[in-house]
Amino acid sequence: MDKLTTDNTFELANQFRDAAAALRDWRMKNRAVLNRAQWDELDDREIVLLNIASSIYTDAVGLVLNDSQTALARLQSSVQSAKSAVQRIAIFKQALDLASALILLAGAVYSGNAAGIPAAILSLEEAADAIVNSEGSGA
Amino acid sequence: MAEEENKMGYAPQTKETPDINMSFRLALTVVLLAATLSGCASFKEVRAFASLAANAVNDETLTRDYIGALDRRKQYQPSKFHSELEAQKLRRETQRASMDLLQQMMTDYMQSVGGLASGEIRTYDKSLGDLSASLNKATLLDSSEKEAVGAISAILSRAVTAAYRLHELQKLIGEGNQPLQDVINATRKIAKKGIVADLQVESNLVERYYDNFMFAPDNPAEPVAMALAREARVEALGRVDSGIRNIQSYDAVLEKIFEGHQYLYDHRDMIGSADFNRQLKSHSDELRTAYRNLLDISR
Repeated sequence: MDKLTTDNTFELANQFRDAAAALRDWRMKNRAVLNRAQWDELDDREIVLLNIASSIYTDAVGLVLNDSQTALARLQSSVQSAKSAVQRIAIFKQALDLASALILLAGAVYSGNAAGIPAAILSLEEAADAIVNSEGSGA
Repeated sequence: MAEEENKMGYAPQTKETPDINMSFRLALTVVLLAATLSGCASFKEVRAFASLAANAVNDETLTRDYIGALDRRKQYQPSKFHSELEAQKLRRETQRASMDLLQQMMTDYMQSVGGLASGEIRTYDKSLGDLSASLNKATLLDSSEKEAVGAISAILSRAVTAAYRLHELQKLIGEGNQPLQDVINATRKIAKKGIVADLQVESNLVERYYDNFMFAPDNPAEPVAMALAREARVEALGRVDSGIRNIQSYDAVLEKIFEGHQYLYDHRDMIGSADFNRQLKSHSDELRTAYRNLLDISR
């Protein structure tokens, strides 16, 4: 697999940071329908995402992550679609699933677990698709 | 021979020193010509730019903020995340030496350029002294001629030094441009894409921290507490924003050094000319403005 370039790594960190921000926006907009436990759970996930973004910035400053350009393109596209999906989240479970999928993916990228990345991407794509499809079906 | 020399305006030779006067006068002419030509080159603007760049590039806030950010963030996260922040801090600590080295390399380089431009070349000064002494020993001159040699030795020294400095400056700038630009680019990338972006993560953390105070479900909407939280939120975000502007200002300084040095490199054959000095001064002025802006924000 090709290595991630430094620029790609920085961009990946940006994507995670922006995804966390988008989740926070969703949480704020929907605070009236969230109970405290749900609010806190999403908050925890946002912190994890932000810390992972920060870790990837650290990596990008000192290191270049190992991965292929093809995987990277898919990776970035997946995270990008997740960001778009955040705008369409209808219910708490979707937000939680998407946040969990993002964390799974971020964990695989961050730990350099190349084998785990495809499964994590799949999980993220499924979460994003579920949101988009539910919106399409009027859920 | 003597007649020909008289026609040419030379003074008659003495019996004791048949060739010395001619050689001496020829050497004097060459030296004065060299002094006139190479001594004309003024390194004032090169010195000013290099000195300013050496000072401006050495900004310790870059690494301090980068590493210190993790400690600051503890207050915005539950304690269960603190060990992770500590681990991140350790990883950044291991990068400190490399980041410092980037800045040190730029400082060292600009100081070298400034040193050559200001004549701080002690090893060469020593060899010039030896050259001058050897010249005095090797020539059999009468007293007036020795005085003349003494008088021009300073001119010779300045002329040769100026020529040497110009040559060394051109060589240094010619060889140093690409690696300097690479180092500047690397530092700018770390500053802009790494540290500024990471500080934006901190903004997100601060925002969600105060949002939790103010908007979390079941939180009592106590007006005084709300007002205090809003105030603290603005203050905390202002601190992070100030850090971001500081790094952006540092990046602007690096950009000006990049541009100024590129001009030096592109026009190194014109060093000392009036046009060169005017253009380089304009780069120095831009760098000075950027540096002042950085200092204003850092305060």
